Amino acid sequence: MNKKTVSAKSEKVELEVLNPRGKIEAVPASSPSPRLTALDGKTIGLYSNSKPGMDNFYTVFEELLKKKYPTVKVKSMRGAFLIRDDDVRTLAKEADAFVYGVGD
Amino acid sequence: MSKKSVELVVLNPRGKVEARSAFAPNPRVKDLAGKRVGLYSNGKPGMDNFYIVFEELLKKKFPTVTVKLLTGSFEITDRDAKDWAPQIDTFIYAVGD
Amino acid sequence: MAGTVKLEKLGIPGVFMVCNTFADDARSAAADNGMPTVRRREISSAEFYKLRGDVKTIRPLVEGIFDALTNALTSPLTPEEAKPVQDKKGGDDLPAEIAVKAESYRVALEEFNQLYLDKRWGDGLPLIPPTPDALKWMLSGTSRNPYEVLGTINPKHGIATIEKIAINAVMAGAKPQYLPVIIAAMEALADETFDDLHILASAGSFNLLLVVSGPIAEEIGMEAGIGFMGHGWRANNTIGRAIRLSTLNIGHTWPGINDMALTGRLSPHTFYTFSENTELSPWKPYHASRGFRADDSCVTVAPIHGESQLQHFYGGMIGTWTAQGVLDRIVEDLLRGSRRGLFMWGTKGVGKYPGSGGGSMNHMIILFPELALEFKKMGYDQKSLQDEIYKRVSVPYDELNPAEKKSIQTAMELGVVPAERKPVFQAALKPGAMVPLLMSPENLHLFVAGGVPGCAFSFNYYRIPPYNQTALMTRLITGATLTKAGATGGKNVPYGA
Repeated sequence: MNKKTVSAKSEKVELEVLNPRGKIEAVPASSPSPRLTALDGKTIGLYSNSKPGMDNFYTVFEELLKKKYPTVKVKSMRGAFLIRDDDVRTLAKEADAFVYGVGD
Repeated sequence: MSKKSVELVVLNPRGKVEARSAFAPNPRVKDLAGKRVGLYSNGKPGMDNFYIVFEELLKKKFPTVTVKLLTGSFEITDRDAKDWAPQIDTFIYAVGD
Repeated sequence: MAGTVKLEKLGIPGVFMVCNTFADDARSAAADNGMPTVRRREISSAEFYKLRGDVKTIRPLVEGIFDALTNALTSPLTPEEAKPVQDKKGGDDLPAEIAVKAESYRVALEEFNQLYLDKRWGDGLPLIPPTPDALKWMLSGTSRNPYEVLGTINPKHGIATIEKIAINAVMAGAKPQYLPVIIAAMEALADETFDDLHILASAGSFNLLLVVSGPIAEEIGMEAGIGFMGHGWRANNTIGRAIRLSTLNIGHTWPGINDMALTGRLSPHTFYTFSENTELSPWKPYHASRGFRADDSCVTVAPIHGESQLQHFYGGMIGTWTAQGVLDRIVEDLLRGSRRGLFMWGTKGVGKYPGSGGGSMNHMIILFPELALEFKKMGYDQKSLQDEIYKRVSVPYDELNPAEKKSIQTAMELGVVPAERKPVFQAALKPGAMVPLLMSPENLHLFVAGGVPGCAFSFNYYRIPPYNQTALMTRLITGATLTKAGATGGKNVPYGA
């Protein structure tokens, strides 16, 4: 049997190696909800995950929103990094559309 | 028995260390009576307390002994070593670690 | 141990007393210092550390070892002690090339790794086999002579050659184009003025900051943006690993034997290796502040305290920030730490040089690019920012207590305060004056690194280390053959220039 000296420079070497990546189950892709036709008279949920600065951002945003859409209503909500289930249900019930800001 | 058909020749990564001449320690003093015993501390916590007790026990057992305490750097400086050596007959070097 | 041997060589018989956890270290150090049969006596670590606080509590320990210590001074040397075996070989007992034979490459690779770990030649992670071919490949990255000696590495004063560094670079998984960077860092560590001993061997688990600055960083693919000190980047990580393996193998260290880092070091395999973000920095690279040309490529090697000492100044995503706010936090941190250390200025120090191992510090401050840009808008460059921080890290003379005033005074008398700084402190030690708590603005080392967003943080370390003169060195990267940068040009700036 031929002795293979790995340090020899003349031979071609084939190294078969394996894929180390964890398999990810394919997640079905859903589409976002249909958009509103307009914001007038609607309730806009403004969700913040409470990170610094989101409150200031939303203060100005709400002001601009109400200036442009005087009949709009705003539902502000500060919550967890990942919105909790009960907050989801509340916002879904009370808001027609939302902005989810993560302050990052 | 499986044949060893692969040979991997690898290199020694170690830095060469020049072989040093090994010196013997000095002959001991015959006994401690009347001797000057140096107690060196590198200043680490606790060595002062250790030497307080040690000196007490030393003088109790060898009433004519003289003790020369020196607290200095981690490694005694050349200057301290040269100054101290003529003042002592023997020493303990302790590092509080 | 070195001190004991020094005294023995002056003709005085003595004994070295050490805790039993350091027994292997002591044995190793005895041989390193040329007196393998020096008399040693051990006391129990568990008891010494617990009982040493008080004369009363330590008494039983002293009584227990008293006879052993006094006998060590008087009982005649044994024939073996009087004629110690001469070490003819030095270092390890394996040859320059080792053949590992196995039935398959997989087994050969495993046996190679096990052999190297058994010999304490590895760092615990699998190694790339340093075959002669691989060495040749690695050396293609430098024009320097493989047999060139850079100096020695502690604690065993192993000889650092380009060849040995390259072998360790192969093991680390580095590429040839990284080799000039690795060599430059090793030049610093092997420099006869650099204190590598303290960081490689001390119980304090000290670490190393390795900062690459200049165009070579981008050329070799170092990541300087988000995650710049983390995993994922071959250049950053294998450069650090190559240096780690080089110090381990050339210095012949091993945890618990003569590397006494009690917890081990964070980022243990790679030290903290990163590059400045030259692309986003509004300033010249760090090495320009050390006398090098801006277009040079350099590496700065800076020991740092162990894990407890990273100080975070925030920025980026952590909270709203302003440049002034971050600057204020930096100043506040330096004021607090420097005031605490002020009483140590006026001590002889723990080493050969006055003030060694205590007192004033070097501060390595990493600023994220946006912050540097904001500082620039405020009118700062590195020099003026150093000056500003230095000026603000000071206290009114009238607020110093008598011990602090005396400490600074003594520091001037002992030479802890360098001659060129004495006029500053002489003028400051007067009623109504402000007393600086940093020795000099030059002890503030500002690096611009990280991405957008980023954060600011700092490390520190003794301005004068315990066992040698220097604790921070910047070296020019030279001899590069595979990159435009680092090939030629510039000159190394001598330490202290």
